[in-house]
Amino acid sequence: MKMKKYLSILLSTVVVATSLVGCGPKTGEKSKTLEVKKDKVLRVWSFTDELKKPLEYFEKKYGIKTELTIIPTENYASKIQPVLESGVGAPDVFTAEIAWLKQWTDLPYWENLSEDPYNADEWEKDYVPYVFNLGKDSKGNVKALSWQATPGGFIYKRWIARKVWGNDDPAFVAEKLSTMENFLKAAEELKKAGYKILPDEGALRWFAKGSDPKPWVNEKNELQLTQAQIDFMDYQKKLRDNEYTAMAPEWSPAWFASMQGPVPVNAGWEKDINKVKGNKTEVFGYVMPTWGLHYVIKPNAKNTAGDWGLTNGPSPYFWGGTWIGIYSGSDNKGAAWEFVKMMTHDEEFLNWWYKETGDLLSYKPVTDKVKDSASDSFLKGQNHYQFFLKEADKINPNIVTKYDQGIDNIWGNVVSEYVNGKKTKEEAINEFYKQVKNAYPEIITPLDKK
Amino acid sequence: MNSKNKYGYLFISPFFIVFSIFGVYPILLSLYMSFTDYKGIGSPYSANWVGLQQYARLIKDAYFLQAFINTWKIWGVNIILQLALALILAVIFSDMRLKLKGVSLFRAIFYLPNLMTVSSVALLFLYILDWHHGALNGLLLRAGLISKPVNWLGQPHTAQLAVSLIQTWLWFGHTFIIIFAGIEGISKDYFEAAMIDGANRVQTFFKVTLPLLKPIMIYVVITSLIGGLQLFEIPFLISQNGLGGPEGSLVTMVLYLFNQAFKYRNFGYAAAVAYGLFLIILVFSVIVFKGMFKEEV
Repeated sequence: MKMKKYLSILLSTVVVATSLVGCGPKTGEKSKTLEVKKDKVLRVWSFTDELKKPLEYFEKKYGIKTELTIIPTENYASKIQPVLESGVGAPDVFTAEIAWLKQWTDLPYWENLSEDPYNADEWEKDYVPYVFNLGKDSKGNVKALSWQATPGGFIYKRWIARKVWGNDDPAFVAEKLSTMENFLKAAEELKKAGYKILPDEGALRWFAKGSDPKPWVNEKNELQLTQAQIDFMDYQKKLRDNEYTAMAPEWSPAWFASMQGPVPVNAGWEKDINKVKGNKTEVFGYVMPTWGLHYVIKPNAKNTAGDWGLTNGPSPYFWGGTWIGIYSGSDNKGAAWEFVKMMTHDEEFLNWWYKETGDLLSYKPVTDKVKDSASDSFLKGQNHYQFFLKEADKINPNIVTKYDQGIDNIWGNVVSEYVNGKKTKEEAINEFYKQVKNAYPEIITPLDKK
Repeated sequence: MNSKNKYGYLFISPFFIVFSIFGVYPILLSLYMSFTDYKGIGSPYSANWVGLQQYARLIKDAYFLQAFINTWKIWGVNIILQLALALILAVIFSDMRLKLKGVSLFRAIFYLPNLMTVSSVALLFLYILDWHHGALNGLLLRAGLISKPVNWLGQPHTAQLAVSLIQTWLWFGHTFIIIFAGIEGISKDYFEAAMIDGANRVQTFFKVTLPLLKPIMIYVVITSLIGGLQLFEIPFLISQNGLGGPEGSLVTMVLYLFNQAFKYRNFGYAAAVAYGLFLIILVFSVIVFKGMFKEEV
């Protein structure tokens, strides 16, 4: 009988205990010298598979096993934040897209890399300035680093330029697109020849931001809607009304297909539906940054590789970027730091990475070496490095706020309601103010002043 | 109380301990959060106490009201279609005079959509319903039924209807199985008696099947109501950026809650929305329950 009693107590304790596993307090003692634990698995979280190859390189070089967890961009922030808050099952290294960067640099998630033993401040001169500055928190401490810079351009199909204008030179095309007036003229010429200048109107948003770069929210916490943004509402509407686009929204199946070749023409194009059958149109170019060239367009346009071009649109802009840092609660900071260092400050690795991807690096010792000899066969041998580095110099990191992703989305939505004719301009702007206030009660909008 | 009883408590304790940690505690925590301005950073206990401010905001919130109306519209169309379809199919398959074969095969086929992950279903319909490149518009254009492609997901009413239809397609099989089981559970004597008395199919359905199915129908409506008012996945996945589609027409109450919490990080307010949603579901479940049983008394 006694035996049974003990057994039952034992059993229920086991059940209870196992249900509590994972709720233990986190251990996070700090030490000035970092111990690289070779037998521990280095856990890395990111939102793309970009780190897969670098991690394989790291495993070979350091003999440390790694584990990469990829969470799709849409869910990344909502998945990782609770983990970082609680420290349970947290990664040792995690990345951030620019959308979350400014939120996270001011939170205690990332280790302060300005402190001993990291002293990342000493590296400032080695990086493209805007990239290094964005990784700092509001007190100027470095929280995250990045191996890349992500300025944008206009990436176009050379054969269409030759056919329509008899010239596919990037300088010539840049002139064609140098202002919004010229851009619309070029769109008309392309339309007459049966092409569409852009896949959709939304692509213009980057030029809108670039033509008067101001943060969405100023230091007084007031919402700022620039005249340039309002002007671009009309430019977008003109693109729609004059049927200058293929109506293939970014990231839609049709958008990807339009890189490969012609896509079914917008059926509203012709009044007579019988003429539309089987008709297809081709998109001339894309408003995309460095990563868009390498990871989006290249893999989707394999059969036309070598006949693409890269040039400026009406204004310089940048889009995205990935930063990487060490989780402050990690118990494997030594290995984590080795990986972050390799990824962002290891000439040998970055050289290899450049050869592997052609991606624009932020690390100057490597970019200085390759910028004169760089050439991208996909772009008919054009030197994309020099182009992008020049664009990177024009970037003002002070326009980035922690609200950008949310407000960009709201703005995009109301602009498309205006473009679709659902709302007047005033209604759309008013709705924008209301929705921003609803999402971020702490922001002061013009409606509050009334 | 003898010692045997004590062991009983010991054995059932694991459930209660786990349930209080993973069930009761979060429920109480979110109640607490709804009285604070918690932003999802640090501990909720260190956030500022704001009293009933979040609830005051909820009552005046035009966007929540819109979400409430959207949810009802989408659920209303869905439940009518779903019940009608499931009832018709269940009656046909259980008809004594028809004696259809292959019931279990059809039951499996009808249930199949429910087994698919919602994200694949959403992706599938995104392809089908795409404005300029979708299969549905392509088909209708080719058949000459429309002269211009319809922007199904770009207009409030068609987008809501599309979500209702997707929900119907996903769930009618489930409802069919329950109702079919309900009809099977009705004693054959009633149907035989109705047949002998010369009742036709329509009369049998309205005088025999339907009244005896009432408890099952109430079960179906209430469970569907509870699920329907929490509608989230399809609107979330089918609208761009998860923001809720054209003019906010696909913003359901839970999508609104999700965006407030995980997109805009207003956890305090989102917790208040959650409790508002709980009250709404409670009230309407009681109304439906009372309403459907009233006639019987």
